Parts: sequence; structure tokens; C-alpha cells
Amino acid sequence: MKIIFEIAKQEFVINTRNKWTLIFTIIFGILVLGISYSGLLAEGFSGIQNFSRTSASLLNLTLYIIPLIALVMGTLSFTSDKGSMELLFSQPISRKQILFGKLLGLFATIFFSTAVGFGSSAILIALETDFSGFAKYISFVFLILLLSIIFLILAAFVAIVSFRKLKAFGTVLFIWFFFELFYDILVIGGTVLLKGQTANTFVFISLFGNPVDLVRVGSLIVLDNPTIFGAAGAQLLRFFGGEFFSFVILIFTLSVWCLIPLFIASKKLAKQDI
Amino acid sequence: MIFEEVKYRYKYCLWIVLFGFILSNKISFAEENILQTRINSSNIGDTIRVKGGLYIGNLIVNKRLVLISDENAVIRGSGSESIITILADSCVLQGFQIEHSGRMLVNEDAGILIKSSFNKIINNELHDILFGIYLLHSQHNLIENNKIIGRRFLDVGQRGSGIHLWNSHWNTISQNEITDTRDGMYIQNANNTTITFNRVYKVRYGLHYMYADSNYFYGNSFTDNMAGAAIMYARNITFRKNIFLRNRSFSSFGVLIQDCHNSTADSNLIIDNRIGIFFEASTNNFFKHNLIMKNDAAIQIFQNSINNTFTENNFIDNLSPIQIIGKTTSSNWNLKNVGNYWDDYGGYDLDLNGTGDVGFKIQNVFDYLESNYPLTRLYLYSPAAQALSISASIFPVIEINKEFDNYPLMQPISTRSIAEYFNLIKSPKNNLSSLLIIFFSYIFFITIYIKVSRKNLFPTSSG
Repeated sequence: MKIIFEIAKQEFVINTRNKWTLIFTIIFGILVLGISYSGLLAEGFSGIQNFSRTSASLLNLTLYIIPLIALVMGTLSFTSDKGSMELLFSQPISRKQILFGKLLGLFATIFFSTAVGFGSSAILIALETDFSGFAKYISFVFLILLLSIIFLILAAFVAIVSFRKLKAFGTVLFIWFFFELFYDILVIGGTVLLKGQTANTFVFISLFGNPVDLVRVGSLIVLDNPTIFGAAGAQLLRFFGGEFFSFVILIFTLSVWCLIPLFIASKKLAKQDI
Repeated sequence: MIFEEVKYRYKYCLWIVLFGFILSNKISFAEENILQTRINSSNIGDTIRVKGGLYIGNLIVNKRLVLISDENAVIRGSGSESIITILADSCVLQGFQIEHSGRMLVNEDAGILIKSSFNKIINNELHDILFGIYLLHSQHNLIENNKIIGRRFLDVGQRGSGIHLWNSHWNTISQNEITDTRDGMYIQNANNTTITFNRVYKVRYGLHYMYADSNYFYGNSFTDNMAGAAIMYARNITFRKNIFLRNRSFSSFGVLIQDCHNSTADSNLIIDNRIGIFFEASTNNFFKHNLIMKNDAAIQIFQNSINNTFTENNFIDNLSPIQIIGKTTSSNWNLKNVGNYWDDYGGYDLDLNGTGDVGFKIQNVFDYLESNYPLTRLYLYSPAAQALSISASIFPVIEINKEFDNYPLMQPISTRSIAEYFNLIKSPKNNLSSLLIIFFSYIFFITIYIKVSRKNLFPTSSG
């Protein structure tokens, strides 16, 4: 355990000293703050859920950026220059410890760099809305961080499997494009083609195939309420047995999305010839 | 001797009356209906002033009377049938608290049942009732400033309406407050009703018209209902300056218009509903100067609704501007070169005449998909949905429908005065202090970030 923390610490230092991480931190912070500020304080009508529109814009921003950053950071870290990797692997520590340590360090970096944006807008939201608004915001950030873990693990998995840096980057960009865009278009197409109950089942099952969709739907249900999806939302809740159960299923599936690639990656890494 | 006896009896009676009077202020006996006795013993046209206190038992007003209580006397019904039944014309009922009606939905047990005309029901408060005020074959009544609270513990379907009109014309309903009933106001076969300045909240349908023509409603507020106003099978309805706010559940509507023709909506605020305006099988309706804002879908319209006109409305911040069930509708999105204001219109106005030079295509591909395949709404806010819309606007290969506003307005129509009337304008906040807080917290977090990243965590290995 101590070794994992040591590796995580080292990973954290390397990543936070990177200029790109600093630039990402600053820009992400400005974007998140800008959206929450303009959404919460714009002069308008009272008694209306202004916050849901704000969170929807936030959701859009983070759903694009966070997976991309996680993928790029993960790939960079696991395919860094051969010398340091070889040095690390030659130490008397198991490869599983290296994998977990690196992932922990990477996650700490993402947590820390998004904390600038999320943290300062949390202060704003705590000042401007009531407790329930703040709790919603916290659960939203929690879901987004969970998404970043999934994509870090996916990046590690791809980097370990493809081994070469260029190949890993290509695959990772394809994964991002696939989960952000291609998958959803396929499912929308499928829904239009299928009919009745089959279409229902198809859409609801296919949500689980894409962590981005899971987090998007889950955040909208948490942040706003399921009515935002209209009839589809009602059907979704009935399919999963209520709001609470949907959330439990969501968290469970997201953890499955973490654990399976992590398991395969650690098996692969253990057998790999460096 | 006789004189002595009379004097004695008179004294005796006086004592009884005095005793009864003291008692009546505190309790009255269930079997003795004091008010009914007073009504029976009064003459036509009398004014009965009722002192404060509790009066038990149902009342039947069968002659022209003025019943006034300045001290908010409580009339508690027997728990079966209607509490007060008015059978004579031109009665006045003012200032009572009326409670505990019957519970039979089939018998339509009400707080006040009116079967006559030219009555005035003013300043009463009704609670624990099935129906509130029920007008049956009654014309020219005035119902003003009453508060009606239904039985919240019942299912919505088991409750009665707040104010129920059946086959009653020329009535005026004004400044009432209605909550926890099935429908706020249910108007069936009632023409020429005027409904003004009422507040209806937490009911099923705020206002429900069935087969009612030439009605007018003005300045009402409908909040947190299943539907703000449901206008069904009606003609020539005019509604102005009402607000339909926060009517939210899986199938909620601000205004539901079904089989309704030649109606006019002017200067209404339709804000934060699940669906702003819903149309089915409705023709020749006219919408002008309305603000339709922050709804999940601004308009849901069935293909069988034709020739509805929208001009000078503001469509702001709606998640979807329009959901068409079917292929297309022949709605007019502009009237004589004046269209509507759409906040996501991206055109330009080179000749500076106030309307955009290129038409606005109201529905994008994703709106089209989600209105015909509701399940795809789960992909709301997804990059895929946005990509579809953008690509379809760049390469307009698929012709989805012909909903075009050819003269979109560049500036929204001002609705500020109506919003001010409903106390909707948020007082401007002190933005500067918030801005400073944000700025300093941002700097604070960045400094921490830089400090931590520059901190030497490995003093031995770094050298």
C-alpha cells in the first residue's frame, strides 16, 4: 500500500508540473466559473429553475472535456519514455502496484486540476442557492469524477495493450470519438428503426454500453428531474424501478465499467514483456 | 292575572333566549340548527347578520336573503350532502367559513350548491369539502374573493372541483384562491363566463373548459398543477395576461388546447412548464404577445391542428421549440410580415426593419426525431444530438418539415409589465461582490495548485 502511494505521489508531481496540466486547469476553471456565474446571477425571473439550465451547460462542457483529458493523460503516463518506465519496472515492486499507483496519481491530478473550477463555482453555488442545490452539485461533480476514473482506466488499458505510443494515441482518440458521438448516433438510428417494446429495451440496455451516456442521463436525473426526458424519462424510471433504484444501478454499472478494464489491464501488464 | 302570567312567561322566554345566546357563542347542539331556524323564520329580502361561532348542520336558503357574518362564523356541515344549498335568486352569502361537506363523488357534495341566479358569494373560506362552489343551471352569479381548500389526503381523482359550473351562463368568478382540489375551475356547458384574477395551485387542471363557448379569462395565475388551463371542445375563448408557471410532471402542460377553435391568447406568460402549449385537433386559434420561456418543449402540436397563427410571441430558453406529432402542420408563424422572436435564431437584419432577412427553420432534426420517437429524448444534450442538428443545417439533405418563420423578430417583445404584475422580476443582485468572491476563490485555488505542484515531495531523490 505504501508503495502504491509512493508511485502515486511521484505520478502526481510529474503530472502537475506539466505545463499542459496547468493550462488545462486555468482554462477549465474559467469555463466552469463563467457558466455558473452567468447562469446563476443573470437578471431574469424568480421562482424558476435557473440552476438546471446552468448545470446542463456545465454537463455539456464536462462531458466533452473530462473524458478527453483523462484519456490523453492516461496514455501519456503509460507510454512515457522507455528509460523511466524500465527503471520503474526494474524495482522490486509488483506490476499491479505500479498500475494502481499510477492510476491513483493520475486521478489525484485530475481531481486537483478540476478542483479549481469545481471548487470555486461550489463556493458561488453555496452562496447563491440553498442546500439541495448544493447537494445536487456535489453529486454531479462526483459523477463526473467517476467518469474520469473510467476513462483513465480505459487509457491505461489501451496503452498497455497497444504498447506503442502512436498506436495508443490513435486508439484512444477513436475511443473518445466513439463514445461521444458514434455510439449515440447508432443507438438513435436503432431506436428509430425498432418498434414498441423492443425499442424501449434496446435504448435502456444500450445506455449501459456507454459510460458517457450513463453519466449524462444520471446527472440530468439527479440535477434536474426525470421529467426533463418526458415520456421517455417515465418509461426509464419504470424500467429500472424508481428513482432510487435507477441511481443505484447507475453507480453499480459505472463501477463495473471501472473494474473490468482494470482487471484485464492488470492481467495483461503482469504477463507483458517489457 | 293574565298580565302577570304573560309577564312571567316573557321573563322566562327572555332567560332562555339569553341562555341560548351565550351557549350559541360556544357550542350548539347538533339537533338544533339555529341558522336554519332563523332562515325559516325570516322574511323575503331580510338581512341576517350572523355572529361569530360554530354553527352545525346543513343549510337550505329557499328565499331571497342576505346572509352576512362579519365575525367569520363557522358553518360545519353534517358530513353528508352539500353544506349550503341556495335555491332562491339574488341571495348574498358573505364572510363565512364553511367546512365538512359530504363525501359522495356521485352526488357531487359541495360546500355551496347554487341552483339559482343573480347570487353573490363573497369572502368565504371553504375547507374540508369535496366540491367547493357548485353552480347548477345558474346564471349571472358573482363568486368573488373566496378561498377554497380541498381534501389533500384524497387522491386527485377522488376529489371534486374547486368551482364547478354546469349549464350555467354569464357568471363571474373573480379573485378566488383554489388549491388541493381535482380541477381548480371546471366549466362545462357554460358560456360567457368571466374569470379574472384567480390563483390556482397544486390541483390537476387549473382551469378546465368542456363545451364552453365565448369565455374570457384574465389575470389568473396557474402554478404547480398538472395542466395550467385545459381548454377542450370550446370556441371563442379569449385569455389575456394569465400566468402558467411550473406545471411540471411527466405529462404536464401550461395550456392544453384540444378541439378548440377561434380562440385568442394575448400577453400570457407560459414559463417553466413541461410542455408550454399543447394543441390537438384545434383550428384557427390566434396567439399574440405571449412569452413562452424555459419550457422543456415550447409547443407540442398534432398534425390535425391547422391554421393556428402565432405572431409577436417570444420563444426564449426552451429546450425544444416545437414537437410536431405527425409530419407537418399548416400553422402560420407570422402575420403580415411580422413573425415571432426565437432566441436561437442566428440570422441577420441588414435592412434594419426589425425582422430577420432569412427565415427561421423552427424544428431541427433532433426535435423532429424526439417528437416522433419520444425515446430518443434520452439523448437530449448529447453530443450526438447536437452533431445531428448541426450537420443537418449544413447539409440540408433531409426535408423534415415546412415549419418556417419567414419574418423572425430580431428583438423580443417586452413583457416586463405583466411579469412585474405577477411579482416575477428578480431584484438585481449585487453582482460585484459575487464577482469578487469568485475572482478571489479562483486565484486562491490556482495558487494552491501551483504551490502544491512546485512543492518538493521527494527531497532525497530530486537532487
